[in-house]
Amino acid sequence: MALYSDFFDSMGLRDWCDAGTTGGPQTMADLLARTHSGEASEASQIVFPSLDVLHSACSVIPRTRDFTAGLEHYFLSVKDPVKSVLGPLTQPLSWALQGALDLVHDLPWWLLVLTLIVIVQLAAKRVRITVFTALVFAILAFIDHLEPALQTLAIILVCTFICVLVGVPIGIMMSRSSRLERLAIPVLDMLQTLPTFVYLIPLIFLFSVTEPKLYGIAIILYAIVPAIRLTNLGIRLVDKDVLEAADAFGMTARQKLIRVEFPLALPNIMAGVNQTIMMSLSMVVIASLVSAPGLGALVLRGINKLELGVGLVAGLGIVLLAIMLDRVSKAALERINKSHKA
Amino acid sequence: MAAVLLTAAGSPAFAKCGNVTITEMNWSSAAVVTSISKFLMEQGYNCTVTTVPSGTVTAITSVAETGEPDIVTELWLSGVPAYAELEAAGKIRTLTHVLSEGGVDAWWVPQYLIDDHPELATMEGILANPGLVGDRFHNCPDGWGCKVTNEHLAQAYDLAGAGLEVFDHGSGETLAAAIAAAYESKEPWFGYYWAPTSVLGKYPMVKIDLGTFDKAIHDCNAAEECATPGKSSYPPAEVITAVTTDFESRQPEIAELMSHVSFTNEQMSKILAWQEDNNASSEETAVHFLTNYPDVWSTWLSEVARERLSALLQ
Repeated sequence: MALYSDFFDSMGLRDWCDAGTTGGPQTMADLLARTHSGEASEASQIVFPSLDVLHSACSVIPRTRDFTAGLEHYFLSVKDPVKSVLGPLTQPLSWALQGALDLVHDLPWWLLVLTLIVIVQLAAKRVRITVFTALVFAILAFIDHLEPALQTLAIILVCTFICVLVGVPIGIMMSRSSRLERLAIPVLDMLQTLPTFVYLIPLIFLFSVTEPKLYGIAIILYAIVPAIRLTNLGIRLVDKDVLEAADAFGMTARQKLIRVEFPLALPNIMAGVNQTIMMSLSMVVIASLVSAPGLGALVLRGINKLELGVGLVAGLGIVLLAIMLDRVSKAALERINKSHKA
Repeated sequence: MAAVLLTAAGSPAFAKCGNVTITEMNWSSAAVVTSISKFLMEQGYNCTVTTVPSGTVTAITSVAETGEPDIVTELWLSGVPAYAELEAAGKIRTLTHVLSEGGVDAWWVPQYLIDDHPELATMEGILANPGLVGDRFHNCPDGWGCKVTNEHLAQAYDLAGAGLEVFDHGSGETLAAAIAAAYESKEPWFGYYWAPTSVLGKYPMVKIDLGTFDKAIHDCNAAEECATPGKSSYPPAEVITAVTTDFESRQPEIAELMSHVSFTNEQMSKILAWQEDNNASSEETAVHFLTNYPDVWSTWLSEVARERLSALLQ
């Protein structure tokens, strides 16, 4: 560290460095130097000039913690304006989630299960899959996990619906503009890799923990990515010859999109939707950390109380839901694809 | 490495200490305790100390399954019902109460609310004005011991009848963030937390009187099934340093040291307040303690260790 002190001295910056400083707290290195007085310490080593090291040589330079504290202050100062914009914008999400959860709570279980089974039959038109769905519900009900499972299902379906509603148009825009694609891809990468708690905790400062939109946003931000990516990819992969033919027939851009590109890209878009469903399911445990009800909450309880069995059973429930959602959505997608080809 | 060997060989009575693993719990007072203990073990007893970042439950599970880490410090017993079993099985032993007066479990309301509405300092005041505290009681997450107790207390005080919704948090992080968020925008807040913690060090809160402590009532409240929940405040929480019996027989000298490492609430609050004021890391806070309270920690040491650290004690 002496090295950097000498540097600031030789540059004639000492007065500037020491202006109005109080000196930071003593570090462990200082203390160790006191216990082992006389021993050669790190004077011979070259220390990387990090903010903390530079601070100890020249106290005007902020330390790393001043930097992070500054970030915190910045966030808190922009919090209120951001809140006034995002609050009303995201309010429908809260209503949708709360409405879906209330529905699960208020309707009799048999009506809900029956409705879901009918929907599965209508969407997939495969008796085997419908029977499998009924079996999954029976198993979940048998181990007393039906209500949390239905809550989880309600949350996932609302979030997936919003992901498709928002993600597909974004994907189409990205396929139209390579510039937008270049800008969006790093953002999408970040959404998938950023640890969820990093944005969940700031969200608590923006909204209240008791609002369902908190976990709704967490799930959507994570699960929307495949819907966007695969829509973009699907449209970009449409055969150029087909587009030329469409041009030759004098189609407008809008006609081309709706009648040529979109149908041809449908298998890819649907694969994206399937991925979106699976990814929102994988978020349910993390969403429960910010008070989402459902199977995730049971998994967390099992972990917190060290009740391995409770955690395992709830985890298995999630797996069952995942298999069911995957099979049903794939069967439904296949049907849609076939009907478009025909 | 060479330097370590040299000091070890060069020092007078070289005690064979070897490797020690110690937990560093994920809250500030525990991190400071661990940092201080690490320094004393390394510099006073020539140990090679590894700190293991950990939480209450993970630490105890790890001890139960693998016998590691050697030392678990700042363990809040109320959070780990499994501890008694481990102790009975002879796997772990309590060395000392690291917070000698015990921790404070309580229900709190932010200071700024009391400043505007002094009546909120009592349960009666809160029950009469639920709107002033946001119509909500912030409860512990599922799986924490305090959740059960709070639910029974909520029944005894009839929070639901007064129009207060009991909101179970998903995790300790959101509970802490809820306090911080309420404080930043000076919003109503009412709920459970514990001290000494950096959250309560940073945000002054007023403790609500939950009635006098009655052991029988509290024991019923704390049990999963309680037919007649009653009004009783929490007893001082037992916060201990535990050591694996295996390590104790291997390293009696270190166990002896750790059995002395203990703080009063006043000391710990002062240390944490200093940390908050100076925006300091836990290591720097440990240094602050070591340089400013030598009369406290010098009594913890053995003769040899005191000699080794004499430079600091002058």
